[in-house]
Amino acid sequence: MTELITVPLAVTFESFTSLGFWTGVGILAGIYTLFTLGLQLNVGFTGVVNFGQAGFMAVGAYAMGILVVDAHWSFWLAMPAAIGIAMALGVLIGLPSLRLRSDYFAIATLAAAEIVRITAQNARDLTGGNQGLFGFDESWNSLADTIDGWLVSLGWSDPETLFPLLIMVWLVALIATALLYFAQRSPWGRVLRAIREDEDAARALGKNTLVYKLQSIAIAAALGALAGFFLAINLNFLAPDEFLPLFTFIGYSILVLGGLANYWGVAFGAIIMWTILEGTRFVDLPLSAEREASVRFMIVGLVLILLMAFRPQGTFGKKEEMVLGE
Amino acid sequence: MSDAVVQAQQSPVGSQQSAVGSRPILQVRDVVKRFGGILAVNGATFDVEKGSVTALIGPNGAGKTTLFNVITGFYRGEHGSVRFKGKEILRKPPYTIARMGMVRTFQITKALARMPVIDNMMLAAPDQPGEHLLNLVIRPGAALQREREVRERAEELLELFQLAKLTNEYAGILSGGQRKLLEFARALMAAPSMLLLDEPMAGINPTLGARLLEHMHQLREERDMTFLFVEHDMEVVMGHSDNVIVMAEGRVIAQGPPEEVRRDKRVIDAYLGGGAAVGEG
Repeated sequence: MTELITVPLAVTFESFTSLGFWTGVGILAGIYTLFTLGLQLNVGFTGVVNFGQAGFMAVGAYAMGILVVDAHWSFWLAMPAAIGIAMALGVLIGLPSLRLRSDYFAIATLAAAEIVRITAQNARDLTGGNQGLFGFDESWNSLADTIDGWLVSLGWSDPETLFPLLIMVWLVALIATALLYFAQRSPWGRVLRAIREDEDAARALGKNTLVYKLQSIAIAAALGALAGFFLAINLNFLAPDEFLPLFTFIGYSILVLGGLANYWGVAFGAIIMWTILEGTRFVDLPLSAEREASVRFMIVGLVLILLMAFRPQGTFGKKEEMVLGE
Repeated sequence: MSDAVVQAQQSPVGSQQSAVGSRPILQVRDVVKRFGGILAVNGATFDVEKGSVTALIGPNGAGKTTLFNVITGFYRGEHGSVRFKGKEILRKPPYTIARMGMVRTFQITKALARMPVIDNMMLAAPDQPGEHLLNLVIRPGAALQREREVRERAEELLELFQLAKLTNEYAGILSGGQRKLLEFARALMAAPSMLLLDEPMAGINPTLGARLLEHMHQLREERDMTFLFVEHDMEVVMGHSDNVIVMAEGRVIAQGPPEEVRRDKRVIDAYLGGGAAVGEG
């Protein structure tokens, strides 16, 4: 890293062959697969626009962190409790706003997410504010050591430090993808799609659409919380800046890249997205660090524009479903 | 006729029916729906007999579709009473009313475009345990079993409505007339005891239309199903209904058997400004 920065205008591909780089990208992609699966369920399959996924991720992560650090709960108990809290928040936001047109709900979720983030920033006694919240991951570290031990016994003498996390996050992401995939093909999933197409038609056929929309949002919140746990473990600490609305929109970019209404496309989109975002860190330009960070997002923007021009349905989306959407 | 209307408005139970025998499935009393300063429905009162075919007619803007929306819970009626199978349903949510057995179609069709035709149909089936997440985990067999039954029934109906070839196509590729058919068939999938059809014949070719009407009569006879439909085609109205309700400017201005209604002076006035009997022009 340091050598790279001292040489101006150099692009080094060394890092692209390093296992450490790909482990890092893989973990982020796994986290954002979970994160974006929630958006896929809401936007792609229920027709509900959720702009607050980063907020649900924050609530999950902070609830877990606070329960472990401040309330001395077991890590393994704190996680389901935190998922429950995130789901309850989803229902709470949804109850008044999901009855209205979908744009009201979108704004309500965005506002709620910002309330969560700014609260985390300012409730310093609980969250550590911008200094961060530490010390919730002891239980994880001992599990990681066990997984490390297995890796060693499989013949890998010096496993990559974060490899156990990579395995775990993708295991959970794959299970979540498969569960959603099957749920979507069930009669339950059919009702969700009907709501996406025409809520009045679904209501005229006896479906209590509000309940289904609330379920959709609660499940998305749970997935956001799960993503939050892995994000917290990956960073070893929690800071409010990890939950900016920007990350929700990275989720949307992943959604568009992978294709709407396709769960398997989410993982693909997440891998591409984080390869671009992390890979461009190694492109050395004669620019200040701040400007270079902006260049990364310009590249992402360019990729999205090209995608819209040449494959508007995303990599795995169905063209017919785009055209037929009126 | 006019006496009957007046009497119905006075007595909440209503007893104006005699032709089909008095067993009302739907009792609408003095329903009012306002949009801002406009009274879209201004005190509609009528009964629909169980097992009857009733037509709801009236000039454009008479309030027919608004009344449909109030009866089926899509609009909140401000005043009056709507009783279905003896239970008050005014201001009940649409899904509750649908589950009670009153299913509707829409004037502007609501085909679920990005879903296959077969899924449009299967969605409508009642009592699918698989529509609840918990059941998918604890009794997936029941959901699968129900899916098989439902698919069989859906395929039968698609055959009857001449949509079988389109079973696996997206509903979005259907023509306007085909969407009308799909919506009619989908409403039947819900196994209703009463069906409210908003202009079911619009855009459907006459041969197929005749078959659907025949099917409607068959359902009425075999299953005692009740039909209330809005229709502008007077031949269909006069030839296929037991009873006709005529609305104009938000009010029910006449009701009774077709041959009686078509000679009613107020109906003729509302439609033609006087001169000829309705449906004879």
